[in-house]
Amino acid sequence: MTDAIAVQGLVKTFGRTRALDGLDLHVRTGEVHGFLGPNGAGKSTTIRVLLGLLRADAGQALLLGGDPWHDPVTLHRRLAYVPGDVTLWPQLTGGETIDLLGRLRGGLDPHRRDALVERFELDTRVRARAYSKGNRQKVALVAALAADVELLLMDEPTSGLDPLMGAVFQEVVREAAADGRTVLLSSHVLAEVEALADRVTIIRRGRAVSTGTLDDLRGLTRTTVVAGLADVPGARDALAALDGVHHLRVDDAHVTLAADGAALDAVLATLAARGVRSVVAHPPTLEDVFLREYGDELATLGLGER
Amino acid sequence: MTTTTVRRTRAARPDPRRATPHGPLAGTGRLLRLALRTDRWTTGIWAVAVAGLTQVSVVALAELYADPGEREARAALIASPAATALAGPGFGLDDYTFGAMTANELALWLMVPVGIMGVLAVSRHLRAPEEDGRLEIVRSQPVGRPAPVVAGLLAAAGGVLVVGVALLAALLTTDLDPAGSVLMVASVVAVALVLASATAVAAQLTTHARTSSAIGMALLGLAFVLRAVGDVQGPRSTSVWTWLSPFGWSQATAPYTLDRWWPLAVGVAAVALNVGVAAVLVRRRDLGTGLLPERLGPARGRVGGLVGLTWRRQRTSVLAWGAGVVGTGALIGLLASAVVDFVAEGAELSAILGDVDDAVAAVFGLYTVFLAVVAAAYVGTAVGAARAEERSGRAAGLLALPVSRVRWLGAQVALAAVAASVMMLLAGAVMGAGAAVTLDDASQVGRLLGAAAVTLPGVLVVLGVATAVLGLAPRAAGAVWLYVAYVGTVGMFAALLPDGADALSPFTYLPALPAEPMDWPAVAAVSAVAAVLVTAGLAGVRQRDLDG
Repeated sequence: MTDAIAVQGLVKTFGRTRALDGLDLHVRTGEVHGFLGPNGAGKSTTIRVLLGLLRADAGQALLLGGDPWHDPVTLHRRLAYVPGDVTLWPQLTGGETIDLLGRLRGGLDPHRRDALVERFELDTRVRARAYSKGNRQKVALVAALAADVELLLMDEPTSGLDPLMGAVFQEVVREAAADGRTVLLSSHVLAEVEALADRVTIIRRGRAVSTGTLDDLRGLTRTTVVAGLADVPGARDALAALDGVHHLRVDDAHVTLAADGAALDAVLATLAARGVRSVVAHPPTLEDVFLREYGDELATLGLGER
Repeated sequence: MTTTTVRRTRAARPDPRRATPHGPLAGTGRLLRLALRTDRWTTGIWAVAVAGLTQVSVVALAELYADPGEREARAALIASPAATALAGPGFGLDDYTFGAMTANELALWLMVPVGIMGVLAVSRHLRAPEEDGRLEIVRSQPVGRPAPVVAGLLAAAGGVLVVGVALLAALLTTDLDPAGSVLMVASVVAVALVLASATAVAAQLTTHARTSSAIGMALLGLAFVLRAVGDVQGPRSTSVWTWLSPFGWSQATAPYTLDRWWPLAVGVAAVALNVGVAAVLVRRRDLGTGLLPERLGPARGRVGGLVGLTWRRQRTSVLAWGAGVVGTGALIGLLASAVVDFVAEGAELSAILGDVDDAVAAVFGLYTVFLAVVAAAYVGTAVGAARAEERSGRAAGLLALPVSRVRWLGAQVALAAVAASVMMLLAGAVMGAGAAVTLDDASQVGRLLGAAAVTLPGVLVVLGVATAVLGLAPRAAGAVWLYVAYVGTVGMFAALLPDGADALSPFTYLPALPAEPMDWPAVAAVSAVAAVLVTAGLAGVRQRDLDG
């Protein structure tokens, strides 16, 4: 399988700030790829380099097999972009804006446009200066999603959307993925990425700190297990002897622990031998995965490791 | 000198932290301090530029017209209707002292820029914060409802006063009578305050900073035309038209000759009225809206491509500037016969200016350059709008489409070039038609159309400079205005400035038709410079990072 986006060792500095510091990012054709990181981690800078708006200082960025800085126009025919903070021409209505953006790309499918306008419940007669942030976001989403493209670059596309529209957005992205389109989805809404993404890259200070499928990443993070057992003391001793078991606590009839992904098999075998009456296991959420990468910053903020 | 003034203003105010925040004006002090702080560079640059240029011009005028005989000849020339339209009401022409000359010929050109500064400052403080949502945060603080408006107006007034103080300091270094200088500066400040307060009213009617500054500029233009008509019809501020214009009241003070303060009372009353109306309007409307309601528009688009988009963005601006340029051209054309009569009557004047045809030609040559400078200022705003597109992030949205940067900027530059050309040619034609009617000489249409056409390469050089700055040094975009101001100054006052000071203005090299013969190589060379600059700008924008 080929890569729709292949970024290797990308560096971009603004004055003294090193926004990208040897970033690697690989997005396979046809996947929805979550792109995570807090504000200032370099997500938008990466996307702007991929769009050919910024020129990288070092490293390589390949987009749909081409160089985004040298042939933006040909590449842009095959992609669409949704910024996180959409600014529009105040004097144009939403409908005029969508059609203008469509015309500049050589035409939109009118049926798809109308269907999207309807699903996002956008009043296209309103002038952009009167739109709320969420409505401006919808204009950009309709214009991008109605285009017949292979790749969607989305930089926090749902900021400002209400939860209902967030659900519509998820549905629409799933349909795009089902059509075989590739999506790079940068977002703060981890639940949204968890629901949509096949693979995820987490970046920190301009570098990728972990990348892989959600299952891969979950494997690196602990699963919380609470089990009601017949033989609690025996289980305690056996579990304490296992590698990869943390925060072991017991009360009258329950054990509670956090297990590394690699230790789960052994933990479950140990529990099963002690007469399981009930078991609840919380797999790590993407939030747990994300916060693990930022554990030290949480500590600095006085929030402690999760 | 300006910084000390700002500091003094701050120190003079009571510490806002000690004031208890309640009442309708709560928080005004803090907001004012913030506004003055935000403005300190802008105000400083205006103050230094206005004061510096004034100082240079006054010293040059003094040297050039040291001899009373020369001043008498100058008085005869400046009394012509065409000169009056661009100068003043002509107090003290019979004894044209150096002070009378300064008040009559320079004061108006101080009032215009300081007035523009006042208009822009009010729009910046009153409308822009509301438009981008800053005001919402401010209003959620313990701040009275009118406080942001009061603070914005005071900040604009403060900026105008700082420029006034700088201007006064510059004038006091010259030989001019200090009392007259104080009055002249007060007159300049008065015009700016009237226009600023009128813009404050406009800011309550519209939703957008751009619209309110456009209304303010239109009022400025209207005031200018009213006083021009008035001064031509009735010398020494005797026409009704003069008294309808803030420029008229302020010039009626006649600094250095009559030294009368009472005309400024009209200005003070106008300021009070405007502030009162603005205050009433503020109480009547909701945050984020103007009194003029938003209407729904078409649900489907007919905006055709990049040029269509640029036209939609720019058409109000193009029409406003175009109306200004063409309207002024028409006015000048209608004054042609007055120039002829004037020259024909004064025998000694013909000795200076040559025969009647030459006099008309010289006057029209100067006016055409004036119109071209206005067209160049429009071109500056058009390229400035491209920079605003970039910074707002709207350009990024377009450039993420299959649209090259050269096409993106090229469409905007091309539209500016076409619009400026159309307004200049129309102005030339209208000016020529006016002259043809009043002089009963049909050949004037062709002559003046040609005169306007030959300035176009100069306008395009300004377009080229603006484009090159945008492409190669986008953060220096403000410098384009310094260049426009320079071109305007040397275009109007080249004779007063030291030799070679006009070397960087394209109009220096273009033939001033119809007074001078046509010079094709010069026109071709200036056009080539414009083409090189535009090309450099387009190439530059392809090579650099995009902001926004």
